[in-house]
Amino acid sequence: MEETLLTLDQDTTCTAWNYSGQRLAAGSINGTLAIYDSKDPASSSFTCTSRFKVQETSILKIVWVPPEFGDAVACICSDGSYSLWEEVVEDADILQWKLCKRFDRNSSRVLDVQFGVFATCLKLVAAYSDGQVKIFDLLDPLDLINWQLQAEFQNVIESTSKFGRPSCLSAAMCWNPQRGELQQSSFVLGFNSDILQLNSSKVWEFDQDHQRWLPVAELALPEDKGDQVFAVEWAPNIGRPYEVIAVATCKGISMWHVGSNHDPNGRLSVERVALLSGHNGEVWQMEWDMSGMTLATTGSDGVVKLWQSNLNGVWHEQALFEPTS
Amino acid sequence: MPGMTSDSGDHSTSVVPISPNPQPTTYPLNHGLKPPIARLSISWARGNTLRVTVLRQPQPSAANGEEEAGGKVLEVKLSDNRDGEIDDAQWRRIAYGSVTPFALLQSRKNSTSTLSKISALDSTEWWQYIMEYSREINSLLGNPKTSPSLAIEDQKTVLKDVQKPTCFKAAWELMEIFYADQHSQAWIPERLLDWLADYDCLFSGTQPTVHSELVNFQKELVTRQAVEDHPKYWEAISSTLAIGWLEIGVKLLRLHGSYDFDQLGSRETENGLVEAVAVLISKMPRLRADLGADKLGECYKNKPDFVKAWEKWQAQITKLDCSAFWLQCEHHQTRDGLKNILQTMLGNSTSLSNATFHWMELYIAHFLYIRPFTAGLESMYNLAQKCMQIKPVSGHHKLIGLLIGILGENPEVVLAECSKSFGSWMMAHAAELLAAGNIQAEMLLQKEQFQLGGICIEELNRLVYAQVLSSHALTWQIAPIYLSSCMKQGMGLLETVLSKQALQHDQVLLKSIEICRLYELGTVSSNLMKITAVHDWKHGKKGSGVFWLQQARDEVRLNRIAKHLFDFVGKSLSDGSFKQWEGLIELLGPESGIAGGLEFLNKYREFRRSLQQVHSGTATDAAQRAAEALISLMKNPSTPQRFWLPILHDSLKLFNWAGRPLLNVSQTNVLLNKLQELSMARLRPDFVNADLPPEALNSVRLAIATNLGRAILEE
Repeated sequence: MEETLLTLDQDTTCTAWNYSGQRLAAGSINGTLAIYDSKDPASSSFTCTSRFKVQETSILKIVWVPPEFGDAVACICSDGSYSLWEEVVEDADILQWKLCKRFDRNSSRVLDVQFGVFATCLKLVAAYSDGQVKIFDLLDPLDLINWQLQAEFQNVIESTSKFGRPSCLSAAMCWNPQRGELQQSSFVLGFNSDILQLNSSKVWEFDQDHQRWLPVAELALPEDKGDQVFAVEWAPNIGRPYEVIAVATCKGISMWHVGSNHDPNGRLSVERVALLSGHNGEVWQMEWDMSGMTLATTGSDGVVKLWQSNLNGVWHEQALFEPTS
Repeated sequence: MPGMTSDSGDHSTSVVPISPNPQPTTYPLNHGLKPPIARLSISWARGNTLRVTVLRQPQPSAANGEEEAGGKVLEVKLSDNRDGEIDDAQWRRIAYGSVTPFALLQSRKNSTSTLSKISALDSTEWWQYIMEYSREINSLLGNPKTSPSLAIEDQKTVLKDVQKPTCFKAAWELMEIFYADQHSQAWIPERLLDWLADYDCLFSGTQPTVHSELVNFQKELVTRQAVEDHPKYWEAISSTLAIGWLEIGVKLLRLHGSYDFDQLGSRETENGLVEAVAVLISKMPRLRADLGADKLGECYKNKPDFVKAWEKWQAQITKLDCSAFWLQCEHHQTRDGLKNILQTMLGNSTSLSNATFHWMELYIAHFLYIRPFTAGLESMYNLAQKCMQIKPVSGHHKLIGLLIGILGENPEVVLAECSKSFGSWMMAHAAELLAAGNIQAEMLLQKEQFQLGGICIEELNRLVYAQVLSSHALTWQIAPIYLSSCMKQGMGLLETVLSKQALQHDQVLLKSIEICRLYELGTVSSNLMKITAVHDWKHGKKGSGVFWLQQARDEVRLNRIAKHLFDFVGKSLSDGSFKQWEGLIELLGPESGIAGGLEFLNKYREFRRSLQQVHSGTATDAAQRAAEALISLMKNPSTPQRFWLPILHDSLKLFNWAGRPLLNVSQTNVLLNKLQELSMARLRPDFVNADLPPEALNSVRLAIATNLGRAILEE
């Protein structure tokens, strides 16, 4: 049933597949990034095509840039910085990975970055250990060098309240995967921090009229608002009248339906339709399949689970994969 | 949406979430890494392929310097339940083969649904369409006939060696009988009999069947003399007759020793009795439309005729049973064997039960000899229940599950069985039969389900199947056919399928664009082109990059490129840097008007080229062409103002052309106006000063004025 696609270097810390599943980037503890490619779409054999040093410290996470902006990745390193690297062929026809931009660490570490595309603009949202969120716009669509800070805020509903020095362990973010011309740019964000108000997952939407980001929904029941969030994943929507977002907290994995129309206060209607037992601890990662009907999750119990809803809307664990040596 | 792979045993792993709440199935993932495992990471690849990265805890380097693997990436295909019956290549053949019948049926459906209501006449036509569809799909699933037919060639071969049929085909035919074939409604028992004849071997796996017993007996037959002495011989005949395999029964009877030439004299009565039974068997009345040429029995198409014939036939059997000849038959195995056969034919339930193994066989025997007039699903269902009680089976057989669902008139069970045992291909294709043959099923399939985001089960089935198709590089291209028949979410999924294609491969790119064109997915198509364009642009294929950007009508990026090229405009003619971009601009072609900047560049290139010729020679023709190019360039609104002066400065030689003025009065005026405008613009703060000697403006003005003077004189 399972097939081994490739064997990774010693001390690999993280991997990420590109949009088509034809390239894999793998980061290691000594700051090296390896790129694996497959020659043709039908083949399942991958070979390492590039290997280069990103940083002197360990790579924690790799995020691919959307393909219409090039073959590029963002690497988050353990020193709290992150950098953008791009594959280019320049003079003399030599293929190389080039550093486009380094976002150095200042007072806080970066926890996560995610890319979103709206109209023709590439946006980068980065969450930091001090609970700040920064959104950058790419200025030139053909060049990943110049980024402009577009907004900076904290993950709280009441913008008046500011929290002094939160300490965040991790952040979970996901852009709305839909990208129609009319689509508002929006993403969902939650924290695992010591400030309860920051934690709960909120859906942020860009208000075109006032040119600012607004929280339009909060994905937590009143009694759960302080729960640490481990992972969030926005489901692809191929035609549902509502959005589905999975949120993993210390209490388990909850499925949220989010309506598409704003109420007079500018909020979206939300409903928690399921709370699933999850992984007896931290959830590391959640991934929706292409139809948005099956959720794959993995966590600290070391297994992979698949979740589906039946016709009555009841979510259940459909299958479990247990790694064995 | 996954359907699980085959080794799921008996667990429910339905693709479509119809079953209430299945227990999750656990699958091992063998990675072969040494513990400790630090982390897993997951990613969906094409379709419903899941990739799992298993990472080891980073270790201090091993003392012996031996590098160990730091992790493995595994791919798990959550494809379908095919039980290994059909290999991948065969499966793809079926997938491709079913596209045309499916698409044809959909288009027929669409055209009939536009006529408000299907009239009676259309309805017969409609059933023809359904049958045509069913037959075509059926033919993909295996050889047309695999029944245990008579082997004439070798008199001792009772069963032909045939390729084992698949459960897929058996299931399809079962649904065809009950849902699609309107003609079979009157003689469903006989259709089931034929069906069992084809597929009895599929039940042999876990328990004996008539088929498996017959296979065993045949092995013995080759070595046996005087078969009639052996009880197995008589059992085999009874069994074959009980389930209606008359030809085999008769063939076996005629292997009786009394037929041998040297025996005829002494065993005349015995032989007479055997033959009498054989003749009776071959005259058995059958309530069915027709019988194959090599089949025994007599066909009756309507019930009254059949009833008459049936009674007459039974009377003949009874008469033979009471005949005095039995007393003269000295071979007691023959006498007992034949008597038992007559009991079977007379519908003695004990004989029938003894002669059959699987309850399905007993069920068929009941139809043949005890209740030949059974009709209606309800009584068929009750009879099936009764037979199952008599011959209970251990374990669940997928065909039986399906049959019970059909007989129980429970479309939900049928769907669940199809989904559980046969996977998404069956779900997507058999739903057509189900919906055609059963109103309840049709309603179930077409009811919009809020929990599924407003789609119906029929659409869900197709989406699931399309997702399975898109899991493989060789089948994703046919997924759009199924998605286009999904009213609500088909196009949404198609967009996603397309956006995950590996566009670095030309064939994939072109195919994707073609699909976008067919289904009018302009935005998707232009996005695919942009991805290709940016990839090419950044990988040293600038020309191809620009080409795809133009195809995508991506003005934002094209304008960026144009701005980049502007840096080379106005550089001195001898400067080689423009040369390297010339080819690119050439490639943009005269139609590159989509971004203004590129149009300018193209005209500029023309101008530069003609100017080059002027500098290298003195031909007035060339100079005249250059002058025209200059005017065209200066008149064009897309020519940026900051290039006016450099262009005019480049053209000094034209204004001072020795032979005659190259520009007429009105042309010269155009240039003078531009100069005027330029003088005004210099006063503005955002004016960009051209990289030219300070006296450039004056020398240009002087030259144009001179040209004007000469032109006026000329005119």
